[in-house]
Amino acid sequence: MKKRYIVIGLLASSLMALGQNADSTYRKQKISRTDIQVMMSFYTQDNDHSAVTGGIGTENLQVYASQVTIDHLADSTNAYHVDAGVDIISSASTDNIDFIKSSASKLDARTHANAGYQRSFNKKGITAGLNSGVSIESDYTSFGGGLNFSKQNASHSRQVSANVQAFFDDLRWGLLHHGHPIKLIYPSELRNTQWFDHYRRYSYNFEFGLFQVLNRRMTLGIYPGVAYQTGLLSTPFHRIYFSDKSERVETLPDHRLKIPIGIQLNTFVGGRWIVRTNYRYYWDDFGTVAHALNLEGVLKLKPTLSLTAMMRLYAQTASDYFKSYRMHDTDEAFYTSDYDLSMFTSFKPGISIRYAPYSGWKGMIYNTIELHYSYYHRSDGLNAHMATVYLNVSYQRPDKLRK
Amino acid sequence: MKSLFYVCLCSIVIALPACESVKPYQRAYLNDHEMQPGQSGALRFDDQVQAYREASSGGGSSKVSGGCGCN
Repeated sequence: MKKRYIVIGLLASSLMALGQNADSTYRKQKISRTDIQVMMSFYTQDNDHSAVTGGIGTENLQVYASQVTIDHLADSTNAYHVDAGVDIISSASTDNIDFIKSSASKLDARTHANAGYQRSFNKKGITAGLNSGVSIESDYTSFGGGLNFSKQNASHSRQVSANVQAFFDDLRWGLLHHGHPIKLIYPSELRNTQWFDHYRRYSYNFEFGLFQVLNRRMTLGIYPGVAYQTGLLSTPFHRIYFSDKSERVETLPDHRLKIPIGIQLNTFVGGRWIVRTNYRYYWDDFGTVAHALNLEGVLKLKPTLSLTAMMRLYAQTASDYFKSYRMHDTDEAFYTSDYDLSMFTSFKPGISIRYAPYSGWKGMIYNTIELHYSYYHRSDGLNAHMATVYLNVSYQRPDKLRK
Repeated sequence: MKSLFYVCLCSIVIALPACESVKPYQRAYLNDHEMQPGQSGALRFDDQVQAYREASSGGGSSKVSGGCGCN
């Protein structure tokens, strides 16, 4: 009897199971999301160590930079990236290439654009992508491309990443004015000599990353890298005044190896404070060793409003090839009077305010507006101010896959 | 180069034994915007300026496009 009841029960339950229809209220959806970021920045600096005039002369410079970035997440696996921007540069130092005030070199523009694609393999925690870009100035054209890869562990507590980039630069002037690069630009009084027989610069960057969650309030990132440059590494319109009062164009070796390593430790302290600490060590075969320490304290005034105070301290040793105005001897093989390669220390205090309501209306989400200002002082006397407005909005549209 | 090696070694020695398992419901602080690695959007321009005005670059804050910065 018992067997009969069991068989009847199983038959009945199987018939009921066959009679089940798919839940008509359930809809599998993919969420496509587009992030739009707009950044506008202003930069101004002044000092009297311009490399264009051999380590003396004005460095007065203003840059108005704007950039739009669009990140489109098509679904949970495919993401696309596009960004483009223009920097308007008003430079008193490059105006001295020909010593004709307010000449064409006084005002320049850098136009740049990048595009990329990224694919996520969610089950394996792997993300892989590629990107390419272009940057054009009156005296500089750069094409670049790169590959990136990252893998996250199952508990999302560790991520390893690798990033490879290559840039192919042409230092000839003329693309913006004539449609194609023509020649290297030398200081006006040195144009009777062909100082360089090559005009290309190649840069290869490899960067690795290890991101580790240490505990529920602390994360650590370690970013070692290697960069190698070859080709024309001098800037052809930088002057050198020698101790015997003769004059030449800046000359640097045709290859440079750079090894940086960055470490970032982020800590959530209490319920309102976040401390972000970043240290970078840098070495290159031009003889420069540099240390940079960046400290940021973030105070969360409200869940949507945060205030950040920051301080960056930096020190570097001089390049083997740097000497100031009229300190180089003519028997040296390489020489520069560019104070960016001199020994100096710098500090940069800054402040940011970030409002992030994440409020939405009809698919539009207002994510973030951020205002940032910082002051930069270098021990050689260079002072700079930089200010940025950053806006981030999203558009999210659910696409029906199946009804 | 020796100091570079010591920086790497110290970071790994400090980091790895200190790791603690964090469950998904314990990630409220970790998921905060300011706890994410890298720089916030508004600071990218600062990074670019520093790459031009200083001899060093890279280490998690490299500039991502060409440009001479020769002014």
